[in-house]
Amino acid sequence: MPIKFEKVSHIYSDGSPFTYTALKEIDLEIIEGKMTAIIGATGSGKSTLVQHLNALLLPTSGKVEVLDRIIASDEKPTKLKSLRKNVGLVFQFPEYQLFEETIIKDVAFGPKNFEFSEEEAIAKAKKALAMVDIDPSYYDKSPLDLSGGQKRRVAIAGILAMDPKVIVLDEPTAGLDPQGAKAIMELFKKLNKEYNKTIIIVSHDMEHVFNYCDDVVVLDHGNVRCHLSVDQFFKDSNWCEQLHIIPPFIIQAKELLKNRGIEITKDIKTVDELAEEIAKKVIK
Amino acid sequence: MGSFTLGKYLPLNSCIHKLDPRAKIIAMLIVLIAIFIPAGWLGYGLIALAVISLIFMAKLSLKFVIKAMKPMLFMMVFLLVINILVVKSGTIILSIGSFAIYTDAIIQTLYIVVRLVLMIMITTALTATTKPLDLTLGIEDLLKPFARFKVPSHEIAMLISIALRFIPDLIEETQRIMKAQTSRGVDLKEGKLKEKVMAILSLIVPLFVSAFQRAEDLANAMEARGYAPGATRTRYKVLKMERNDYILLVVSFVLCIALIILAIL
Repeated sequence: MPIKFEKVSHIYSDGSPFTYTALKEIDLEIIEGKMTAIIGATGSGKSTLVQHLNALLLPTSGKVEVLDRIIASDEKPTKLKSLRKNVGLVFQFPEYQLFEETIIKDVAFGPKNFEFSEEEAIAKAKKALAMVDIDPSYYDKSPLDLSGGQKRRVAIAGILAMDPKVIVLDEPTAGLDPQGAKAIMELFKKLNKEYNKTIIIVSHDMEHVFNYCDDVVVLDHGNVRCHLSVDQFFKDSNWCEQLHIIPPFIIQAKELLKNRGIEITKDIKTVDELAEEIAKKVIK
Repeated sequence: MGSFTLGKYLPLNSCIHKLDPRAKIIAMLIVLIAIFIPAGWLGYGLIALAVISLIFMAKLSLKFVIKAMKPMLFMMVFLLVINILVVKSGTIILSIGSFAIYTDAIIQTLYIVVRLVLMIMITTALTATTKPLDLTLGIEDLLKPFARFKVPSHEIAMLISIALRFIPDLIEETQRIMKAQTSRGVDLKEGKLKEKVMAILSLIVPLFVSAFQRAEDLANAMEARGYAPGATRTRYKVLKMERNDYILLVVSFVLCIALIILAIL
């Protein structure tokens, strides 16, 4: 069951002097079980787009199909809880949503809201905290005493504990140190591969998009510019140029090698693979 | 919260927008006094005419002004109920058993409602046409003469402008946290009392945490830039009264006098 946008527009403060069209008749189909990156400049409508996925925002016109729910502009949706349980949305800087006295209680807050019993919620919270690598000795500490990176991971665990089928993340690595960012991206990849979760991730980091995602959607002034597989997207250097994106390191290296007469056509992701390919060419 | 228009500035281009904030504040105060002069329906008609033409000159839509009154609706209904229960004079228009509604109750409520509506209209006209920062500049200048009585006019103005400056931020923050908690299954509209309390708690705690954080950051930033309360400093924007400002003052003054005369007659 794909996630489908059909002619979806979203206009903020329609009919007032502050009116602003964030999405312009978007058609988009995100395939389940994949890890899709949404990229685009500031103000291109990324955050607006992802908030339609769990009906926090409703389309001004058009309709959104998520799992088995259809959210259309002309009817007020009811019983959104099941949708929100299945589509977990992690906002930018999610650490601001922490509020409970202890970490374990805060993470269990989500599942408890979705009608799980106290014990079940705690069990789910423990599982989620283990996933984000928070040591059990922290469980009874206040979430406000943690470091920035730890807070972020606890907040993400708060969504994971709901066990959603689709996980949507709005710039989950913003403001994290490189190691912390890498650990989080690896966690999402694991959730995608091992637990078969559909992951949608808004990102500015091309290295992350290149290394971890399957598909990429480019938004530009409220329009979908393209929707390609990550390999296709970076293979065509025109895209990066047009969108003023600095390509990932490996792609830059390939481009430089090509200019020097060494053309590598195979899709590679790591430095080791690149070295191997170069070795092959050189030995020939 | 997006439709909350009370106190919101509307960036339009009209002659009212260009007036000196000091003139606007004084004129508003004069009209507010005029509203409380018991000059009967004719007096209220006069004020209403003046206020509506002011709104018209400011290019504000009546819809916007009416929207600003929404939060007061509850108060108006409340007043009506209280008056109906308390006031027992005039003639009876409706009686159910021992319970009766008197004409005076209705008339008194109407008086209060009209006063309230006019007050909201005039204050909305002020806040919608004056940037919050200009307003505080005006307040600062108007408070200056009270420095003799140790009124810290600059500090008060700074306090107000900081408070005003953070309102949109806090509203945005509230909406953001609301959305984040809604994503975690919080239902702010439905649910049992215990769930509702939990829902509000999940909103208030993060809001306070971030508000204190912001306050601390701002204090540090101000100190880093050498801000010291009470120091003399120059201003980027210097207010100047012009012909239109004096006209506004004269008109509001004349209106007030006219009402006093009407009340005495």
